[in-house]
Amino acid sequence: MKRNIFLVLLAAGALCAVQPAHAHHAFAAEYDNTKPLTLNGIITRMEWANPHGWIYMDTKEPNGAVKHWMIETAAPSQLSRHGLKKADFTDGMTAVVKGYQGKNDPGLANGRTLVMKDGRSFYIGSVGGPNDGAEPQ
Amino acid sequence: MACFRRYATFAVVLGAMFLLVGCSKPAPEAPPPPAAPPYNPVASIREVMNSVIDPNVDVVWNSVKTVIDHGKPIEQAPKNDEEWAAVRHSAMTVAEGANLLMMPGRAVAPQGAGSLSPGIELAPDQVRALIDKSPSGWNQFARALQDSLQPALAAIDKKDAQALFESGDKIDEVCESCHQVFWYPEQGASAPAKSAAAR
Repeated sequence: MKRNIFLVLLAAGALCAVQPAHAHHAFAAEYDNTKPLTLNGIITRMEWANPHGWIYMDTKEPNGAVKHWMIETAAPSQLSRHGLKKADFTDGMTAVVKGYQGKNDPGLANGRTLVMKDGRSFYIGSVGGPNDGAEPQ
Repeated sequence: MACFRRYATFAVVLGAMFLLVGCSKPAPEAPPPPAAPPYNPVASIREVMNSVIDPNVDVVWNSVKTVIDHGKPIEQAPKNDEEWAAVRHSAMTVAEGANLLMMPGRAVAPQGAGSLSPGIELAPDQVRALIDKSPSGWNQFARALQDSLQPALAAIDKKDAQALFESGDKIDEVCESCHQVFWYPEQGASAPAKSAAAR
């Protein structure tokens, strides 16, 4: 019995081990809607996950250093609704993400639009973001 | 004879009076004061959220996902009975945790605690005022949270990873809807900055 409980707890721990922190706060509590940004770089990883997706992007700083970004997106169901597919994330892909800077983490952003190299543009904003015209009507 | 009649009449009236008194309802007794509930809320709503709801709903959400690493999709889902049991444990904890949110007498936050994001998210006394203004609304959201876990539990029992993944959307919708009413109601659309910093 104790072994079973241990295994369940271990499994729960394993399921949570590599997740980004998620606290479900207001948009404005985590992101600064007075600091919009445009990130132009290489997408190295995409987490197609609930309740938010995460895009990992590498951008180049003016001094040539690589900066790693974690960009929050809407939930996968909303991404799908706006036409984005898992298969769109290919190896070495470059893209432009427009969004807003995280308040407490310089490598954190909230994405509003994702523009692929082939020109396709997708709305990726999560619920509660600013009314900046990015969301399709 | 007249004397007999008088006695008979008196006896009939007296009997009728006894009958009336005997048949009338006794005065209702005041109901006993309600007994104190047997439960005792220990944690505040914020603590229930942080200790019960949030960590367990994260297990449900994160149990099925796709990680696309350098273009290579890696599907993640519970792989064995232990992992399915772990997700079920968390889904059930959230569903029952919703009952904790509905229990009257629970503080919104620990004594002396303030807003976690002043000016953006409400202070505990403001949240309390909203709950007290609409306790039925609060309870409806808690029930909706409980209900939103049912598809997840059904998917877990069938070991249906895709259905479990799809159930996550509704759970998130309920969470966000409640938060927008009781936690950060002022956080509607806001004006963005005029220019974007390019990187």
